[in-house]
Amino acid sequence: MNTFPLRIVTPDGVRFDGDAEELIVRTTSGDIGIMAGHINYVAPLGMGQATVLAEGNKRYGACIGGMVSVVDGAVTLVATTFEWSEDIDIDRANASKKRGEEVLSDKNASDADIMLAKARIKRALVRSGVAGQRKLY
Amino acid sequence: MAGVSTKEIKNRIRSMESTRQITKAMEMVAASKLRKAQEQVLSSRPYFEMLYSTMNDIVDSTRDFSSPYLGQRKGNKTLHIVIAGDRGLAGGYNSNVLKLAMSEMAEQEVTTLPIGKKAAEFFKYKEIASLEMNYADAASVTLGDCFSIAKEICKLFRNRSFDRVYLSYTNFVTVLSQEPACIRLLPLLRTKTERDGKMQSDVVYEPDEATVFDAIVPEYLGGVLYGALCESRASEQAARRTAMDSATKNADEMIDDLSLRFNRARQAAITQEITEIVAGSQ
Repeated sequence: MNTFPLRIVTPDGVRFDGDAEELIVRTTSGDIGIMAGHINYVAPLGMGQATVLAEGNKRYGACIGGMVSVVDGAVTLVATTFEWSEDIDIDRANASKKRGEEVLSDKNASDADIMLAKARIKRALVRSGVAGQRKLY
Repeated sequence: MAGVSTKEIKNRIRSMESTRQITKAMEMVAASKLRKAQEQVLSSRPYFEMLYSTMNDIVDSTRDFSSPYLGQRKGNKTLHIVIAGDRGLAGGYNSNVLKLAMSEMAEQEVTTLPIGKKAAEFFKYKEIASLEMNYADAASVTLGDCFSIAKEICKLFRNRSFDRVYLSYTNFVTVLSQEPACIRLLPLLRTKTERDGKMQSDVVYEPDEATVFDAIVPEYLGGVLYGALCESRASEQAARRTAMDSATKNADEMIDDLSLRFNRARQAAITQEITEIVAGSQ
């Protein structure tokens, strides 16, 4: 399969730098798959699973916020947070989800708090979902 | 020669020695913190470079959309974010960045957002209005905080509470040199002038330029803030290390000097005593 150079960068450092065969990532307008020879492209990222196919291996990551860009065949994923499935701390995600649910069940919570709690739960679900993926293969 | 008593000199030596111990300890603490901060700066740089260049590409390559973040405004209401340290004894670190911020602020309607205790105290003392956002402790501001600050700023900018947003921080050039800098965050301006034909971009934006742009701006601001914070933190530690290093050296010099004087005074006292005894026995 043809490959393309892929870089995944976050504020904490570079998560991936090498050739990949395919990248599937969730943008704000839905999942997209990028393969070699893609047209120049920019899209903001939503919250979801990112799949990287490199050297015949599939790797999964929880990718939240940021953007993906393709410039002259080189793909860059600039993510606010990006964790490979094996690096995800499931206990932390579950604890975070629980904290979010507590806020939602509180009738006196303010709108801002509820919004934060919803985002928190969403992130936790993405993380635990991606962490569960690795058992499948 | 024996004008200064040996006891007095001895006391001074002792006090210098304890000062030296403190500065030496502070230097070592700063050196170890600096290493961590430096790593953080290096690992975060690729992220900002990418974010920054993509941002500029969009701004420069597209002409057919407008955004609340784009273009100069007439108003003069300015928000100035200033990143300084939490503690003193860091050479010129705090005063340099605050001085720069003050000169940039001249003759504008300014509100500040201080990050770091020293910055907060400074603007309180100068009686300059500041946003109360509880980010006074620079060491404990996290990446998440940066993004929430960025979101807040975007909101204030969109509803025209501010027409301009500036950021003053300290650039970490090397361990020995740190430069205070002031950059404009908002509004974003097109840097290239019109060049027909070439300007037409062949990049696909999904769903469209304006949406991508508006989604990336808060991200971009948060990223820049976090980057500036990392740079400032590393600069603070580097400045402190250098300052404490020279303080330790000065203390060493003074101790040497005082020891010499102490020995001379002691010698003089002994000589005098001998002379007195000899004179008495004759």
